[in-house]
Amino acid sequence: MWLEGSALATWVREAPTILAFATILTLHTFGMGVLVGASAVLSLRLLGVGGNVPLVPLRILFRVVWGGFWINLVTGTLLFTADATTRGVQPLYFIKLFFVAIGVVSVILIERHVYGGNTDPPVVSATAKRLAFLSLVAWVVAITAGRLLAYVR
Amino acid sequence: MPFVNVPHLHLLMNHVPTVGTVIGLGLFLLSFVRRSEHLRHASLEVFFLIALASLPVYLTGLAAQGAIAGSAGVSDAAIAAHHDRAMLAFTFVEITGFVAWLALWQFRRLARPAGWTAPAFLLLGVVTLALMADAASVGGEIRHPEIKISETAIAASGWFTAASVEGFVTNSPWVWPAAETLHFIGLSLLFGVLFLVNLRLLGAGALRSVSYASLHRLLPWGMLGLGVNLVTGMLFTIAAPDQYINNTPFYWKMGCLMIAGVNMLYLTVFDKLWALEPGDDAAFLDKAIAASSIGAWVGVIYAGRMLPFIGNAF
Repeated sequence: MWLEGSALATWVREAPTILAFATILTLHTFGMGVLVGASAVLSLRLLGVGGNVPLVPLRILFRVVWGGFWINLVTGTLLFTADATTRGVQPLYFIKLFFVAIGVVSVILIERHVYGGNTDPPVVSATAKRLAFLSLVAWVVAITAGRLLAYVR
Repeated sequence: MPFVNVPHLHLLMNHVPTVGTVIGLGLFLLSFVRRSEHLRHASLEVFFLIALASLPVYLTGLAAQGAIAGSAGVSDAAIAAHHDRAMLAFTFVEITGFVAWLALWQFRRLARPAGWTAPAFLLLGVVTLALMADAASVGGEIRHPEIKISETAIAASGWFTAASVEGFVTNSPWVWPAAETLHFIGLSLLFGVLFLVNLRLLGAGALRSVSYASLHRLLPWGMLGLGVNLVTGMLFTIAAPDQYINNTPFYWKMGCLMIAGVNMLYLTVFDKLWALEPGDDAAFLDKAIAASSIGAWVGVIYAGRMLPFIGNAF
């Protein structure tokens, strides 16, 4: 496949330097910790099991989430190009992408629901709680599918 | 030749868990005689730090096992028996450490000791000490046959042995991937909580308007992630020790983990942090500690993910 044969993909996959594949994979793991970690803390707070942290200042977590998301979009794309012919036909890979999409959409909807209105301080509606739960589940499934990619052929 | 190698480190550190448990238990008992809550806090802090310090003791023990098993003048049966007893003792020292952390966290919030702590630590402390002393005495048999207790003291014991853990992980194709998945989920939870708490100390954005006490509520979630990762991490290490004990980044990872672990205790108990009200700025030193904590966790993730790439032990 042309993508996998491109110079960039070859570099990611084969460059004899620790700065190629290994570092990109490690950045992907770090981005996961940032993205899922911040999103999980937010969801736990919305579900009422993460204490009584005031909601307004927690809005900064969305910036953390997006920081992690962009790191992983870039590193994830690079990792995909390096291995496109394998990943492109693996159902597990698309399951992962699907749940990542659900996770990202749920985070966007959470921000709209909790912070979009004019209520001050923000109130946590039943919908926000359902979205928080959905987001937790989506990240757990996405991590599971992603991790299993290394073991399932 | 470096002046100290990893098996040598095991000999330097191997008395820490036993002696430390004696000190922790002693301080705990003394706190009742002296009716001192400060002493009781100190004893629980000792239990937590001993749990932390026992990790490198166990891991350097694995390295020592790899280095001397099969050589002349050492008893392989004694090595295997020592590992089994040490694994059991390690399990209890970790349980004691986690429960001590939970008690310290609760003390911090309630400002008075909870009723369950007295019987819990009496029991856990005594059991841990007995198991640790047993593991230590069997360890002594490896190189010192002159203190031989008896052959029966060395015989393999029960179902909870290093060999059975290794079998559990390697005999089924799904245990390793499942443990890896849990390890990554635990990582996210742990990192998410500690990143937020440390960002507050650094005064990032609107987070300065949050009291430290309200973020303190989140710490058990981080501790849950740490617990999951300790259990799954030990499964990997016991099942495939060669991948780790001969791997330089593994020691970086453990070094960072020790720094981050001490930091976790600092975040849990220190008065100065607890007193931070909405809008208060943390002291410069606390900001520096918060930054080093984030750095240590990033180091743990970096070295952990780099394990298969930097060393060539995989």
